[in-house]
Amino acid sequence: MIALAGVSKSYRTRTGRKAVLDNVSIDFASGHNFGILGANGAGKSTLLRLLAGSELPDRGVIRRDVRVSFPLGFGGIFHGALSGREHIGFLARLYGAPIRATCEYVADFSELGEYFEMPVNTYSAGMRARLGFAACLAIDFDVFLVDEVIEIGDRRFRRKCAQAFRERMRRADIILATHNHETVRQYCDRGAILANGTLTPYDDIDTALRHYQSLSEGGGR
Amino acid sequence: MTGAVAERAAFCRRRAEELWHSGRHQEALGFARLAFDLQPRDEETVRFCAWLFSNGQDHAAAGAAYERLLALSPEWIEGHRHASGSFAMIGELERAIFHARQASDRDPLSGEFARHAGGLLEQAGRPAEAASYLARAAALSPGDGALLRRLSAALWAAGARDKAVALAWQAWRCDPGDRESAHHAAELLLRCGRCEEAALLLGETIRAHPADDAALRKLSAAEMLRADPAAALAAIDKALLLSPQTAEYHIHRAGLLRRLGDCAAAAEAYGRAAALDPSNGSLRRAQLAAYCDAGRLDEALSLGGELIRAAPDNREYAEGLRHALDRRLGAAEADRGALYAGLLRLPRRPRPPRTAGTALATQLRVLHALLIRETRTRFSEARIGYGWALLEPVLHILMLSLVFAVMMHGRPPIGRHFFIFYYTGIIPYHLFVHTSSGMSHAIASNGPLLQVPPVSTFDVVLARGLLELATDLVVAVILLAGFTALGLHAIPRDLGGVAAALLSVWLSACGFGFLNAVATAFWKGWDKIWAQITRILYFCSGIFYVPAAMPDRVRDILAWNPILQAVDWFRAGFFQGYDPHWLDRGYLVIAGLWVLLIGLALERRLRRRLYEPL
Repeated sequence: MIALAGVSKSYRTRTGRKAVLDNVSIDFASGHNFGILGANGAGKSTLLRLLAGSELPDRGVIRRDVRVSFPLGFGGIFHGALSGREHIGFLARLYGAPIRATCEYVADFSELGEYFEMPVNTYSAGMRARLGFAACLAIDFDVFLVDEVIEIGDRRFRRKCAQAFRERMRRADIILATHNHETVRQYCDRGAILANGTLTPYDDIDTALRHYQSLSEGGGR
Repeated sequence: MTGAVAERAAFCRRRAEELWHSGRHQEALGFARLAFDLQPRDEETVRFCAWLFSNGQDHAAAGAAYERLLALSPEWIEGHRHASGSFAMIGELERAIFHARQASDRDPLSGEFARHAGGLLEQAGRPAEAASYLARAAALSPGDGALLRRLSAALWAAGARDKAVALAWQAWRCDPGDRESAHHAAELLLRCGRCEEAALLLGETIRAHPADDAALRKLSAAEMLRADPAAALAAIDKALLLSPQTAEYHIHRAGLLRRLGDCAAAAEAYGRAAALDPSNGSLRRAQLAAYCDAGRLDEALSLGGELIRAAPDNREYAEGLRHALDRRLGAAEADRGALYAGLLRLPRRPRPPRTAGTALATQLRVLHALLIRETRTRFSEARIGYGWALLEPVLHILMLSLVFAVMMHGRPPIGRHFFIFYYTGIIPYHLFVHTSSGMSHAIASNGPLLQVPPVSTFDVVLARGLLELATDLVVAVILLAGFTALGLHAIPRDLGGVAAALLSVWLSACGFGFLNAVATAFWKGWDKIWAQITRILYFCSGIFYVPAAMPDRVRDILAWNPILQAVDWFRAGFFQGYDPHWLDRGYLVIAGLWVLLIGLALERRLRRRLYEPL
């Protein structure tokens, strides 16, 4: 379970501080997959970073009794001078995973071939994404945080991603931030709508989607 | 008066009769009408007129004449039958039925009357009433298979299915060679799902009429219902041999093939059917699906495109085409759709409870991982890499030695060699500067890394400090080894003191490092200012001189400088008898700890604002 208690988070912008979360208390119960719905700029990515622990809230406490992934689909953790293997080694050490097995899994899954031994700044964007995706899957997380993209690459690779996720989801949960209804419906059974600093939970994803639709239509977006 | 009328009527009748027999029917009808109008109540005249009207196809007039006759002689039952026939001919079904019922009800033993009434009621869509008259007729002629079949059909239409099927059987039994009865019975049996009996009956019919393709088609349906698709296929194949142009047979065969899993052949069969019946939409849709299933995606796509062009608004076609496209693109819709549904969940792996021990282990793991990573990225931009870490102090020592060897005429302030003397100044100073400056850049240069949840700003700052410590220690040892190789006596006298001095200066450097990290996060220019401060400290730390050479007042101020303290502590470990009175080891350690404490507290307090990833 990931529990937020009285969490607030805001950002400085040109027009003043913008609240992403305003005194939000919510529980993400284990055993459920949550879809977080929100317009662009509502702060979905920030919420995911808060859940992950990549960022700290301005106020309030976030408690986790599970191991939460870094937001999937985020390739920014890579340092251009390090090779794929060095990055995976780093992550494995960080999370206390077996280094050799983790590297082998990632090398195999990402299909990087000899690029796995080359510095990341020789990679294409697609290769980086594959490396990040495989790294996330390689580590034994209890909750996967997914920012928009759950499947990457060409059709065949996307299917492989979906397959791998299906396998992971037998043990782990996901929290998916997106506005793609199709993906949400495929993966999630519960939902939450993020708008104007509040996060409204729904025990049923269809209700959440309906509500979100009427909200976004009513809001003229 | 009446006599004259009767005469004229008689004349008209005679004339009509003559004209009729000589074949001039229209003129005959004209005279008959005249006669009818002249003597509407004369039975003989009316009877003659009715007969002539009826034969002259003037059924409306005939009906009226028969009704007139029935009014004159109500006992004439057959008149009702005649009237009914006439009204039926002009489409006055209700009046026809009225007379037909009169006839049959008043003479129930007439099979013809009952059959006629039944037929009219069937025609009027009143199968229940029709069935009662047909049953009356059937009771009078029990061996009439055609009549039984009609009765069966009426009962079926009236909803009496069991009775209908029983009668259909009976009808067929009356004449097993009659194809119509056989087809009727088979049809009803199939509709009831009694496929075994249907198959039996159809088998016999086909033996009697081997060229009956419709029977073979029904047999195929019966076999399919009996779950014997192979036999069903054999039957429809035979039917197609007899009648290859029937599109419906091809469609049925294609359905069977799909059920048998032979999608390629099914697609073929749908293709043949479509060639015979190109306007059948649901057939084309099925053909498209069969192409998809058979993996003939090119054909599926071209067919789908053709259908969509012909009917752009047809949702079914669009759906079919989309499916074909998905298949072509390799997206298994079912695979994706079922991703969440019905997922078998396994129990979660237990995690050890969090204690101080596990927290410490995690912290060490994180630092270890960061150190290894930092080691590889620290000098990644410069090709010279770690060579620079070694080169920098070497250059300083060489420069200082060169300059002061000339100025001081060959003797360092303490010790015997310039290299060692400047080494003892440069090493603690560099350790301090590298650590405190390096840590101030740690957050900015590791920004993305802070996205990885276990990594905090504290971790990256401390890791950078540890890396600088490790690097400078290695450099110090290498340089000493180098001096020894050059034949200089370079092994420190008091190894413990030397290590303690370096560790103490590193501690205070760490404290300043944390302060710098915080300051740089809030004030981007701070690192430049810190660089200036370290340059000034270069001159205030006794690197290239001994504080003993300073005036007391100046030295008393400089003694507050922790680097100066560290340098003298370090030198005390190298040079025999060097233990200046201003050296206060306790001061260095306590001051270092205080600075470290303040630095850590500030970092902890402001951690949330040190890094905003935007």
